Amino acid sequence: MDPREHPMVIVVGSGGVGKTTLAAAMALSSSEGGDDTLVMTFDPSLRLKDTLGVGLEASEHTTRVKTDTGAPLHASLLDARRTFDRVIERYSPDEDAQRRILENRFYDRLSANLAGVLEYMASERLFEVANEGRHDRIVLDTPPTRQALDFLGAPARIVGFLDSGALRIALKPWFDDDGKLKATSRLGFVGRTVEDFLDRMVGLELLRDMAEFFRAFAPLYDGFRRRALEVHDLLRSNDTLFVLVSGPGEGRVADTIYFARRLTEAGYNLGPIVINRIHPLLGDANAEAESEGHRLLAWLGRRDHATVSELKDLVGSSHPVVEIPFMPDEPTDLKSLKALGEMFGSRLDEALQQL
Amino acid sequence: MGVLNRLDRLQLLVVTGKGGVGKSTVSAALGAHLANRGRKVLLIEVDPRENLHQLLDTPPSGGEIVEAASNLWLQHLDPRELLDDLVREKLKVGALVKKVLSSPVHLHFTEGAPGLKQTAVFGRALRMVEGHGPKQLRRPDVVILDAPASGHGIAWMAAPQLVSEVISSGPIGNMAALIADFLADRQRFGSIVVTTAEEMPVQEALELLDAMSTRLDRQPEVVVVNSIYPPAPKPRRGDDPATGLWIRRRRVNEEELARLSERWDGPTVEIPLEPIDAGPALVGVVGDHLARGIEA
Repeated sequence: MDPREHPMVIVVGSGGVGKTTLAAAMALSSSEGGDDTLVMTFDPSLRLKDTLGVGLEASEHTTRVKTDTGAPLHASLLDARRTFDRVIERYSPDEDAQRRILENRFYDRLSANLAGVLEYMASERLFEVANEGRHDRIVLDTPPTRQALDFLGAPARIVGFLDSGALRIALKPWFDDDGKLKATSRLGFVGRTVEDFLDRMVGLELLRDMAEFFRAFAPLYDGFRRRALEVHDLLRSNDTLFVLVSGPGEGRVADTIYFARRLTEAGYNLGPIVINRIHPLLGDANAEAESEGHRLLAWLGRRDHATVSELKDLVGSSHPVVEIPFMPDEPTDLKSLKALGEMFGSRLDEALQQL
Repeated sequence: MGVLNRLDRLQLLVVTGKGGVGKSTVSAALGAHLANRGRKVLLIEVDPRENLHQLLDTPPSGGEIVEAASNLWLQHLDPRELLDDLVREKLKVGALVKKVLSSPVHLHFTEGAPGLKQTAVFGRALRMVEGHGPKQLRRPDVVILDAPASGHGIAWMAAPQLVSEVISSGPIGNMAALIADFLADRQRFGSIVVTTAEEMPVQEALELLDAMSTRLDRQPEVVVVNSIYPPAPKPRRGDDPATGLWIRRRRVNEEELARLSERWDGPTVEIPLEPIDAGPALVGVVGDHLARGIEA
């Protein structure tokens, strides 16, 4: 892979298809090829962390993986809450504003539980690292399909929210110094209706926390909004290549097509589609008769290969399909991860040349 | 009390687990099994892409309650719709309802507020088992919720508690508190954790079991381990790749089952990988395995 062509690779796909392992293998093969590479991942298995030899410190800062590859390999584990805290710290005009947000009860709940914000924070972190420009290539492993769509849509949603008027309403001084709700006639009919409604539905306490949060957040608004737009552009730039990973088997084709369509419709640069964990076709026809196990394996092989041909028929002309066989073992050390990376890297290269 | 005995009494069952482990198949199989035992079962799915109807060979629900078999109904719910319904119910005046529903503030609030959608789904389930369902199914004996895979299942089960803590007054806060009580009631609410015997799904299942016990002081009724490769032959020189893969995957399955049993000593049901396409036939076979497992 030529880093000048794809300095950023985003690996997406549904859960349980070995996406994280493939992202790590791809990054390893990229550094083997002489490009300084960073792999960012959301939810790595213990085994992968062990394989890469990185622990908790990788969620604090980018950590160098001990390899003998041509160029360095780095790993970074994403932690949304920490990133959100960092954003607040960066955009706060002063320490007082920062403290007020970090101590706000609504922020506490919001940052730990609000899905969109967590996903946004991941893209924010990606942008931060991309801007530092310290690596030839960044490979980003995303959360499973639906969350990945949330993740990708997050910058637009944040901008939409900031522009929606929700903030404007929230910033109106609802409460006087005693914490009593003030008359808000200036808001007009809609504002009153919505506010009355929220008040009746959720009570004043939450509104108070929210108002306080948004007031504290106001000085950060412009920087935050600008950044969200930049992240939005980065994800759609020609430099950013999306690789969609899928598993074989029932229901996967429809899922994969659906996701591929959503990605291209949203303007992302979707390249190859990878089908991982393909069962081998049973060579000897007689083997089927041998045992129940062999009949099962024959069935799995046929099913998986049917998935591959179906997908090739449907999307092969616009997205080359990369086939990765089901490995008997998950990689447990850098050597086996490297072997997977070599195979995956060369098949991906072939596919990219078809594009 | 045996697993089956418990399952026969509960009013709400949440089926949870990582994506791609066969959660929907297990939900459908469990529903069919309990329906066969004479309970009126409503299966609820909330994933935007409906698939339960394909497993049970019925037309898609499209939000309606559909009868799939004797004693077995299914319904697809859109949590957003439930929240909008709530607005209609509380505001009553048509013009105001329209104003609120089309307001970006409402949209962003309900889209973003943590736990609100989950609470609305549980709220619907609670209303049903208390006898406030629509005409064709006034009162199911049990509602089975096929929870979406995204994130950890604990986010679903802990949602009403979270909402009731954040929103301490008003109709939503009160509703959330009521639902949180319902979910804390061992005689009425239970859960089932589905996993495969592979590293990441088992890891996630173990984390879920931990979180359930520390945050909710609960355990699932049963852990279902799905898609297990059959016992494999001894490795031989010259094994074809398929046999080699089978032997290794079986070993991974055994190792992961052992890892699970180190930290989970509750009821476990193992379901073998079957050479059957997803659909009613698979639901039937998985149902048989499940029935044997929980009756044992």
